[in-house]
Amino acid sequence: MNYRTVLTTCVYCGCGCGLYLEVLDDELVGTLPCKTHPINEGGLCIKGWSAHEFVTSEKRLRRPLVKKDGHFVEVDWGEAMGRAAAGLGKIKEERGPQSLALLSSAKCTNEENFLLMKFARGVLGTNNIDHCARLCHASTVAGLAQAFGSGAMTNSTPEIEEADCILVTGSNTTEAHPLIASRILRAKEKGAKLIVVDPRGIQLSSYADIHVRQRLGTDVAWINGVMNIIISEGWHDKDFIERRTEGFEELEKKVKEHTPERAEQITGISQVDLRRIAETYAKAERASIIYAMGITQHTTGTDNVLSLCNLALLTGNVGKRGSGVNPLRGQNNVQGACDMGCLPNLLSGYQSIASDELRGKFEVEWGVKLPKEPGLTVVEMMEAAAGGRIKGMFILGENPLLSDPDINHVREALQRLDLLVVLDIFLTETAELADVVLPGVSFAEKDGTFTATDRRVQRVRKAIEPLGEARPDWQIICELAQAMGGEGFQYKSPEEVFGEIARLTPIYAGITYPRIEERGVQWPCRSEEDPGTEFMHEKEFSRGLGKFTAVDFREPAELADEDYPLMLTTGRSAFQFHTGSLSRKSPSLRRELDEAYLEMNPLDAGELGVPEGEAVKVSSREG
Amino acid sequence: MEALRAKVAQLLKEKAISGFLGLKLEHGHPSPFLFTGEEGLDLLVVSDTRFPLTKLLQRLTSKYPEEKFGVMVRGCDERSLIELHKDNQVNLEHLVTVGVACSQELAQRCGCKVPYPSQFEVGEPATGVEGGGELESIEGMAEDERFNFWMEQFGKCIKCYGCRNSCPLCYCSECTLEDSFLVPPGETPPKAPIFHLIRAFHTVGRCIDCGLCEEACPVGIPLRTIYKKLGQVVSELFGYSPGKEVEGRSPLSFLGEKPFKEQG
Amino acid sequence: MRVLAHARGSITKTVIQKGQNQFNPIIIGFLCTWCSYAGADQAGVSRREYPPNILPIRVMCSGRISPHHILKAFQMGADGVLVAGCHLGECHYIRGNYMTAKRIPVVKELLSFMGLSPQRLGLTWVSASEGDRFAAVVREFTEQIRELGPSPLRGVS
Repeated sequence: MNYRTVLTTCVYCGCGCGLYLEVLDDELVGTLPCKTHPINEGGLCIKGWSAHEFVTSEKRLRRPLVKKDGHFVEVDWGEAMGRAAAGLGKIKEERGPQSLALLSSAKCTNEENFLLMKFARGVLGTNNIDHCARLCHASTVAGLAQAFGSGAMTNSTPEIEEADCILVTGSNTTEAHPLIASRILRAKEKGAKLIVVDPRGIQLSSYADIHVRQRLGTDVAWINGVMNIIISEGWHDKDFIERRTEGFEELEKKVKEHTPERAEQITGISQVDLRRIAETYAKAERASIIYAMGITQHTTGTDNVLSLCNLALLTGNVGKRGSGVNPLRGQNNVQGACDMGCLPNLLSGYQSIASDELRGKFEVEWGVKLPKEPGLTVVEMMEAAAGGRIKGMFILGENPLLSDPDINHVREALQRLDLLVVLDIFLTETAELADVVLPGVSFAEKDGTFTATDRRVQRVRKAIEPLGEARPDWQIICELAQAMGGEGFQYKSPEEVFGEIARLTPIYAGITYPRIEERGVQWPCRSEEDPGTEFMHEKEFSRGLGKFTAVDFREPAELADEDYPLMLTTGRSAFQFHTGSLSRKSPSLRRELDEAYLEMNPLDAGELGVPEGEAVKVSSREG
Repeated sequence: MEALRAKVAQLLKEKAISGFLGLKLEHGHPSPFLFTGEEGLDLLVVSDTRFPLTKLLQRLTSKYPEEKFGVMVRGCDERSLIELHKDNQVNLEHLVTVGVACSQELAQRCGCKVPYPSQFEVGEPATGVEGGGELESIEGMAEDERFNFWMEQFGKCIKCYGCRNSCPLCYCSECTLEDSFLVPPGETPPKAPIFHLIRAFHTVGRCIDCGLCEEACPVGIPLRTIYKKLGQVVSELFGYSPGKEVEGRSPLSFLGEKPFKEQG
Repeated sequence: MRVLAHARGSITKTVIQKGQNQFNPIIIGFLCTWCSYAGADQAGVSRREYPPNILPIRVMCSGRISPHHILKAFQMGADGVLVAGCHLGECHYIRGNYMTAKRIPVVKELLSFMGLSPQRLGLTWVSASEGDRFAAVVREFTEQIRELGPSPLRGVS
């Protein structure tokens, strides 16, 4: 008889809540919130409370699968690995390393992402490695890096409640990041002003001092309009602009063209409301911007992010406790997957692959030559696969068939491959197309680290033994690398991998397992003495000066027309997560919500004669 | 702390219990753990961090109904055991409780009237906290003001079920909160006020006012004041206070022999 | 429960049918089949007039009425709920209505604490022969609800 609780980090969203997995007689029986955790302080959302449920699902992959004559056959590890290694090797040899591509996983640990990055670049010799961040916050990474020099949340989650004005836009926080929403509500109760700019009424909007609905895809226009008002009223922080920024003149010139009248015309937000937003935000002592996919998932995503950065720089609302620009990252470890360099142009810690010096550092440590040219992004990979230029893919814990745009295109692309190897814990829609499926393990069966949305590197701890013959993903990657002749993959533990990460990644340099034993450390943490960084850009920006970028408003790539008269935008539910690979295996979550649904303006619904609860068929130009 | 460790070591050594459910200090955080041998007892701690130990205990007792377990109890834990015993969820005869008196600071934080169990091995009995600050201020509101107050509070709910999941007295395998007719599934916030009132009514005559529900609420809904209020009502109407004595039954758990007013 | 779903339809209908000038409350009546429902029947047979605002739902015993039913009725926008059973000591199931007698005061207190007037919830005992009494109780209760005005929960769900 034994009963214990294992402290670990939640596997769902990027909040990074601490929870205990309850283990009774070596079986997972429940989840408890960690009462003393800095992020969630004893609370969890429904996904957190049921985080253990999917782990032992009957649908878990327990043995490797290989496709023979169009059907999956269970095989032993030797055969599966042999086929994967031989297949990848053959393509590399015959078609060159650039005909291979890899997708990494924002669900997996930092160590695993780092290893996959090392495997891609050091063993396969390709920079064609990317992951789903491309589709969510790549525009954040690009935009924030351009403006501030670092593409991550400027503040930390607990600080949110210290802001005196919070501007939430493009984030349905209570649904997507419940434990961050709780901080927003707390800030509100402490007297902060809450501004919500969202095309829909959301739970937070009922608590907002100002809630406005912009026309879909017009974010740059309203932000420019607000900045126009701020500048013409003289509410901008001249001292801050003078000392800490560059490019103000261009911005000012551009913003002058964006009169409130014009903004109202484009966005549908009244000038009165724009003025209220401008005044409330600009006059706040510590204003914080919180955004998510509603800002980034546009063809103008980077412009939107840059505009928010402009707004923060203009009013000096960045680089202070509780005040900054805060993208909420979706996956438990999407921050980490980016940090680990699972990006086609960057090594870990956002070190450019093109830089001889930085690349050279990795080459010395790994003892191999690394490719210099940036690789393909997720979208380009699918394009190249469809076009026959990519012949083999390795996908770690991702379900691009559902998460990438245009399912038909992705299916065609993946079906054209000579070899698709998928490492996952479930037979996802993507895995069904694979030639080899390797059974990995869930967060409950391995050690490692996740990096939460506020740059907090935290421990993941093994609670139970792997199910069936499944193996920890980091081991599988190492074994595959070794099977392909890769050297330097003999790690005894994820901790050893982490040591290598710290050696090669300056922003992680000071982080060690013992240091994050009790509480996470937030990067940048450059040495053992560095306590980590709660909020960034305090004295100077990562790039030196904060940079304004004049941005023009562009309409979305697709607009409603006669053939397709309605605009569709996506949203989140607190009860399901992403493509549902995990959450739809969880009875408690399925009971709440088991299928996607569509909300429609009652007027549109009335015109189309669609009653509540009716099934509808949605078609777009893409299908 | 040493007294507690010694006591537990003795119980285990004498085989008076097969395991002791307490808190273990690991990775810098106290968390529930079942101590089954003298080894490792140095990690057994008393802390101001509270977990629904008696709820977790039910997992053990239902899997091992014949075994005897020891459990660390504060005042609130002991009260919950008494109610659970009456509901046939645990058998007090199969349990050995080791009492801990809460620190004054914790008692204050919890607004606890009786921050110690009937017998305790650790700590000094702190002074009970009287008066229910927030409860009184809510009662003092005008009716419509109170309605708006609660609707605003309930509107914050993210339907995590943390209140239920942390409640030592919530043990049903089928929960009314999940009844899709009463509370349509998949909505945040859940239908208000019914979601919260269903739960409130289920605490009537049972809630032992431990406040773990409120501690688990990520959005800070003052849930406990509702249950506290109902506790007062039950006490006034029926003269019953949950968790006080092993004798007597909760007034809403049986039909009654006489109209209620003549009772108790 | 299905009955309640049905009642929702009726509630909406009643709202539409009622005149605009005077507030016409929607009242859900939970009547025990042995006494109160029979009492209502008696009122009808003896042509006793009472306001049509009450939507009676017949249940086997007032003790069968869980607070869930009452809360659901209010959630759906009822302005008042009247629970009626046999007189104490006359319950067809001997003691079923003792449970009702215990529960209702607690529910009232809960409603009150939530900012819903406890007067919106009525409890009465009507025997099968008390047609007059049934009509009088309903008249009085309807007036009481009319005076309270629409439930603040109307339009919430």
